[in-house]
Amino acid sequence: MKLLNFLGRLVLERVKILLNVIDIATTSVWSALFRSNRGRSAVVSVLLKQIYFTGFEAIPIVSWIALIFGLIVVTQSLSILPRFGGEGLMGEILVWVVVREAGPVFASVIVIARSGTAIASELGSMKVSKEVWSLEMMGIDPLHYLVMPRVLGTAVSVFVLTFYFEAVSILGGYLLAGFGKNIAFGAYISNVLGAMGFVDAGVSLLKSALFGFIIGTVCSYHGLLVEKSITQIPQETTKAVIGSLRLVFVTDAVITFLFFM
Amino acid sequence: MGPLIEIKDLTSSSDDGRKIFEGASLALSGGEKVLVTAPVSAGKSLLLKLIAGLVRPEGGVVRVFGEDIANLSGDGLKSIRKRMGFVFQDTTLISNLKVIENVALPMQYHTEISYASSMERARLLLEEAGFTGDLWALPGPLPLFAKKEVAAARALSLEPEIILCENITDGLTEFEKERVASFILGYHASGGKLLILTSNTGDEETFFRPGRMVRIEGRRLVERNAD
Repeated sequence: MKLLNFLGRLVLERVKILLNVIDIATTSVWSALFRSNRGRSAVVSVLLKQIYFTGFEAIPIVSWIALIFGLIVVTQSLSILPRFGGEGLMGEILVWVVVREAGPVFASVIVIARSGTAIASELGSMKVSKEVWSLEMMGIDPLHYLVMPRVLGTAVSVFVLTFYFEAVSILGGYLLAGFGKNIAFGAYISNVLGAMGFVDAGVSLLKSALFGFIIGTVCSYHGLLVEKSITQIPQETTKAVIGSLRLVFVTDAVITFLFFM
Repeated sequence: MGPLIEIKDLTSSSDDGRKIFEGASLALSGGEKVLVTAPVSAGKSLLLKLIAGLVRPEGGVVRVFGEDIANLSGDGLKSIRKRMGFVFQDTTLISNLKVIENVALPMQYHTEISYASSMERARLLLEEAGFTGDLWALPGPLPLFAKKEVAAARALSLEPEIILCENITDGLTEFEKERVASFILGYHASGGKLLILTSNTGDEETFFRPGRMVRIEGRRLVERNAD
């Protein structure tokens, strides 16, 4: 009975958090789409800063991980495929692994680690130092000014970083396939492009935009949960990371199941 | 013209449940300079929060610009707040915005003014406030006086009809108190504005020469004559 009570409370708590996150997400979309132009320059400035920090400044780490990952996938493929006479499946392997799954997931994990933590801790510290309160006193809606540009900025950044990750991974794979196994660049690229269908690319980009949206919303939500104590900031930042990872992977599984089962 | 702020039979408690106001009433009009005094934690900040609609009264009514602020929410509340300028005791500048961006923010958010014009007006306001530091510095490391100058410039950026200053001279030297008071009084002298000051020390009485003095006493707002 105690176990049932515990599980019931846990589920209710999770549902409550999810509803709050959905509330923040819908408010952000609503204010982005239907709010008047007033406040646009202030909000656009926050949006551009978010894209710069989350997207542009993440390029070095994304490049490095994508390059290494491309090398790993191609190395594994080259070691396994010949055993089954499947050397021609290199393109398919890259599309299945890199484009369908690794691109959106790796870009999201990198963004959670770099920017998700920054969003949660920055908003948390703004709550503690009463900056959010002072925005309200100036008649500035914190959801419109602070949250919406962070959510949109993160979604745009993950979308672009995913595309970039996939391109660098595929090129990184060529470094090994091309130089190690003497495969021509043209043949390699046409093999990959030939294996990639519209659904593969579309689902990959759909996932990335959705994951970015989830990360921005969950991390903003946890940042704004901080009240008066500075010790709440690391606690909520940790919850933001765990919550984002959990939702990203669940969403990934659901989309993969819907499109590829 | 009726009062800009009308408080009637106000009842309200502090965060820790202490009853601060019970049956308190006060009416304040444009053009007045009002100093609210009380010991520390006796309700001065609560009064400002009630006027700003951040706290809802347990009883009675707080009318700002003729509107019962407790009945407002969303855009209604925002439109009232943008007609008020606040200078908080701990300044609460936005830490990730540069000094000039802090002052330009209300203009960029609430008006159709261009980005360049808002920045130019912010620069002029900071100059009038006596700010001599780097306009493009983050506010965190600034000394308290400079932060108060920036906060005062930000509070006046939308040309508010009501200016609320929470213990604005706390922690400043005599020279700094004189300078910040002169900036705010200069704006107040432009006519029709209501200036409400709170004070722990009574220094505001010296530097702002208020026309009305109100003391929080026995859970009421008690008027006393200005000297």
